[in-house]
Order: sequence, then structure tokens, then C-alpha cells
Amino acid sequence: MTSPHRRAPLADAAGLTPLLAPDRSNSSVLRVALVYLVVGLGSFLLMGLLGLLMRLDQGGILVIAPVWFYRVMTLHGAGMVASILLAVTGGLAAAVSATTRLSARVLWIALVIYFIGTSFVILATLVGGFGGGWTVLYPLPTHGLVWTLDAALAMYAGYLFIALGLLLYCVHMLHALARAHGGFVRLFALRFLFSLGRDTRDPLPRPPELIAGVISIDGIAAATAGMLYLVPIFLHAAGVMSVDALYAKNTVLLFGHTMANLSIYVGAGLVYAALPAFTGRPWRTTWAVVCAWDLIIILMLTNYSHHLYADFAQPVGLQLLAEIASYAVALPSFIVTIIGALTLIYRSGIRWTAAPMLLALGIWGWVFGGLGAVLDATIPVNQVLHNTMWVPAHFHTYYLLGAVAFAWGYLFYMVHELSDRRAARASSIAVWLYGIGGAGFILMFFVAGANSVPRRYAVHLTQWQMYARVAVPFVVVLAFGLAWLSWDLARRFLSAWRGTEGPALQS
Amino acid sequence: MQNPHVIFGVLIAMGAVWTLGWAIIMARSGRSIPVEQLERSENRIRVGLLGGLAAIAIVVFVLSLPRLPFAGSRRAELGPPQVTITATAVQWGWIISRDRLTAGIPIEFDVTSRDVNHDFAIYDPDGRLLTQVQAMPGYINRLVYRFSAPGTYTVRCLEYCGVGHHMMTARLTVARQE
Repeated sequence: MTSPHRRAPLADAAGLTPLLAPDRSNSSVLRVALVYLVVGLGSFLLMGLLGLLMRLDQGGILVIAPVWFYRVMTLHGAGMVASILLAVTGGLAAAVSATTRLSARVLWIALVIYFIGTSFVILATLVGGFGGGWTVLYPLPTHGLVWTLDAALAMYAGYLFIALGLLLYCVHMLHALARAHGGFVRLFALRFLFSLGRDTRDPLPRPPELIAGVISIDGIAAATAGMLYLVPIFLHAAGVMSVDALYAKNTVLLFGHTMANLSIYVGAGLVYAALPAFTGRPWRTTWAVVCAWDLIIILMLTNYSHHLYADFAQPVGLQLLAEIASYAVALPSFIVTIIGALTLIYRSGIRWTAAPMLLALGIWGWVFGGLGAVLDATIPVNQVLHNTMWVPAHFHTYYLLGAVAFAWGYLFYMVHELSDRRAARASSIAVWLYGIGGAGFILMFFVAGANSVPRRYAVHLTQWQMYARVAVPFVVVLAFGLAWLSWDLARRFLSAWRGTEGPALQS
Repeated sequence: MQNPHVIFGVLIAMGAVWTLGWAIIMARSGRSIPVEQLERSENRIRVGLLGGLAAIAIVVFVLSLPRLPFAGSRRAELGPPQVTITATAVQWGWIISRDRLTAGIPIEFDVTSRDVNHDFAIYDPDGRLLTQVQAMPGYINRLVYRFSAPGTYTVRCLEYCGVGHHMMTARLTVARQE
């Protein structure tokens, strides 16, 4: 066991900002952050089991009724997006809390609102029988034929609360960061950016702070898009107005796609926060970092419409813009974040424990998923891949081997820092199992997509079943790896929780 | 460019290059050197990659322009449609005005939906996805396509539309041109 007063070894050794502020004023924020991470990753594991059930069904191994398959599919999708976003946003709150005064109370309230939302989603799917898909694409939710309007409204209410929880988190984060840095110009280092790095009068934000600011703006935009989608649909349900199908598609995708994208970008923020502690090299706020992340504010909101290439009613100009934006958003992420992370690792003398291994795995998965996404974002290619298994292939790669790996890595880092107890050496094997199981699992999605297997089918033709059958053993390996990592975290968690003890932050 | 197996091959090739580069960095993570020694090469790599990847993106974008699936582009590529067919989606089936077609001539499918969003996707006799367009309530999406060979083609719904989604299929019989 360790003393809660022990200094954070990794960050201190590297001369970096410690996780726990010297005056321990962020201890209560670290606690709520741990709750976000544990609840988020715990829910991710449960949702993963639902995913396994779906692959067993598609492989013809454990057949379930289609009506249940689609309910499970809906819960799995909504639950995964909500869980992963919860986990990474908790990590990001921890990462900025040592230098930015966040309110633990506001974070708890956001979590409660989020819980109310997820409770509605669980009720809608498991009790109400809602199976309209996590994308809740209008007008299917109100026209499902086998579930009631009440179930659809419960689902929408769930999304409303989840959007409100995200909105509260982002508004609070943005306000706290702007206050800490003396305004948005300084938070986003705009003078430094537009002077091409020559104007260094303003103190620059640390990368996690800059990233937290960026994702907060996009989170507010996503939540606003959610309102623009949900409010007309509630009015439609009340018989007040009708909703245009193309408008609904644009707003729901701006909402949902940005929510999903936020997870990976917040996850990347966790890499900026944790990787330096393992490599012993600081991740400085260079002009390239500022430029890339300030650009992300706009680019993340423009590429959603590559999901509308098959909607020929969408103006062609917007379709071409979506293709350009999809390529453009990949460049700053790869050139700055990925190359920056690899430079940090190269000849750093890093000691490969579970946490940096998970972060490195996430870097690999993010890029591999990105390659699949960029290919699919090319309009003529999309014609033969849209809504095939290629789509879940790329976003499962982003998520499972990207954002989720970052979240696990960051939680390992937090537990190490706060408990000063290292991960068991054998946990490195668990990360290998995670990587191998995950890679085999997502590769079978890609293979199925390349063979034109449709996504979201409860019943697969015999010739399609082998892709799911091959994937299942990989899922088992993946699950074993994740269970092993969970056990390692569990045995050190109480020690880490005690490591946060200190005077509570005045909120 | 529109053969999914070729696209998969491109993914694997690009993924292999990336994995190799990533693995080399991971393998060379030991023997610590000051980070300052790396900064100049890091910037050179960044500039080189930015130029290279941006050039590739521009080339791919320009190459994609003549192959757009939208009605105007397909009409320009294949000529004016000689047959117009309406395809209306309903949960969970297709109402198609004519299901016996001819290979080698441009055909326009006017696709719409009576209820929710669907997707009109044409699969060839070997089960390969050829082309698709969304069927949307309140809109008519025009898909222009020319079948290159006779055979029995399958229409599948590729936009999730409820519990009968996986059963929503239709057949198109394409005959040789006289």
C-alpha cells in the first residue's frame, strides 16, 4: 500500500505538471474524473458483451429474434457512444484540473443528467422495445411499427438529457479555461497563431488545456445540433409541425457524428496529457500544435456530411465540401498529433508498461481506422462501401483501438500516479491480447465490408456468416485481455482513490 | 476505383506501411537521446508529410470528380437515360414499376419512400454491391445506371428501416441487348 502523501512519481520525474496539484485543490475533481472513467469503461465492457451477442447471431452461432437483435443493436450503439464519451471527458477533466479550477459539483451534476439520459435509453430499448438504431434517423423512431410512440419519445428524451449533460460539461469547461487564461484569445493562443509564432507575449496554454477548449466549443455545437434535431421532432410528435427528412438527416448526423468524433479527439488530448510522463519529454505548445487544434474546431463540424453521399437530394456542392473536409481533418491530426506522439516516443528510453502500451496501441488504431475512413469518404468509393460492414469497421477501429485504448491508458496512468503502485508486469500481456483480439475483430468487419455485406442486418446469408464466425474468437481474446486489465486496475483502485484525498475544491 | 476488393487491398497496403513505420518507432524507443536533437528532423518530416499527403488528397479528389454517382455526372458519363423506372420503398418491400431490364443502356431509377428512409442498393449476381441511392420520404432521388451484363440482380435496403430491414429485397432481371 502507498501513502496518499507520496509525490506523483512519473510526472515529477519528467518535470511535468503533476496530476494532483501541489495544494491538492483538485482532489475532488480527480475523484469525479475517476468515477467518469470507471463508469464509462465499465459500461463499455457491458456494451461490448452486447456486441459479442450480435456477432454470435450474425455468425449463426446463437440466433436471437430480429426484434431483439435490433433492440440490442440500438442499445449497443447508443451505449457505446455515451460510455466512451463519458470516460474520455472524465480523463480530460483530470488532465486540466491541476492548473484550471474546475467545479466538482458541476461535473457531478453533469454526470447525474447524463445518467438520467442513459436510463431513458435503457428503458426505451429494453422495456419499451425501441429498436430504431442509435442514429434515431427520423422518421423511423416514430414509425417503427413494432414499438410505441412512447418508447420513441423515451429514446429521444434520453438523447436530450445526454446532450444537456454534455452541454453543461462543455460550457463549464470552456468558462473555467477562459477564466484561467484570461479570455478566449489567450486560451486558443490566437495572437501566437496569427503572428506565425512570433508574438509570444501571452502565456500559452498547455496542450490538454487547448484541446479541452477546442472540444468544448465543438461539444456545445454538437449539443446545439442535437436540440435543432430533437425540438422539431418533439413538436412533430405533438402534431404541431412536420419535419423535412433531409433537414433531420443533417442535424442528427451533425449531432451524432460530432459526438462520436469528440471521443477520439478528447482521447487524443489524454495522450498529450499522459505520454510525456512516460517518455520524460514535455509536449510543448508549438505553433503547429496551436494551428492544428484551432483548425479542428471548424473541421470537426464540417465532415459529418460524408454520411450523406447517397442522399442525392443533398446539394452537390455540399457533397464535394464534405469530401474535402474529410481529407482536411485527417491532416492536422496525423501531421501534428501522431507525428508529435511518435517523436516523443522515439529514442526516449520509455519503459513499456501497460499505460504507455495502451496509448501506443491507440495511436496505431486511430491511424488505421482513419485510413479506412478516408477511403470511405471518397465519393465514388463510398458508392460501393456505404452502409456495408466497412462503416462499422472504421468506427470500431477508431473507438476500440483508438479512443478506448486512450481512455484505458489514461486510467492506468491516473491510478499509477495517485496510488504510486505500478501496473503488474504481466498486464503488458493483457495489452497484447487487447491489441491482437481487437485487430482481428475489426479486420473481419473490413473483410465483410469489402465483400459488400450490409451493416445492421439481424439475419446474415450463409455466405456472410463466416466473417462473424472468424471474428468471435478474436472477441473472446479481446474480452480476456480487457478482463485482465480490469482486474489489475481493481486491485489498485482504492489506493488511487485515497491518493486523491485533500481539501475539497471550493466550487 | 470502385472494386471493393481493390479498395481493401489499398487499405491493407497503406495499413502495412503505417504499421511498419509505427513498429520501427516502437522498436527504437530505447537508448534515450535529448529531444532537441529530434526537433529539426521532426519539422522536416512534418513539412514533407504535409506536402505529400495534401498532394495525394488533391489528386484523389480531382480523380473522383468524373466518377461522381450523382444523376448529372452519370448522365454526362453514360448519356441520357433511355428508360425511367420508379422504385418506391415501403416497410418492408419495394414497389418497382418494371423489373425486366436491358443491359447496355442507361436507365434512370426514380427512387423515393412512402414511410421512412431506406436505401436502394443494387447487387450483381455474384453478390457484389454495384451502386446505391437513398430512398427518402418527400424526395425523389434519381439514380442513373447501366448494367454491363445480363443476369439476375438483387435490390437490398441498406438504410436501417426497422425490424424487417434485412428482408427488404427485390429482383431485377437484366436481359442481353437485342
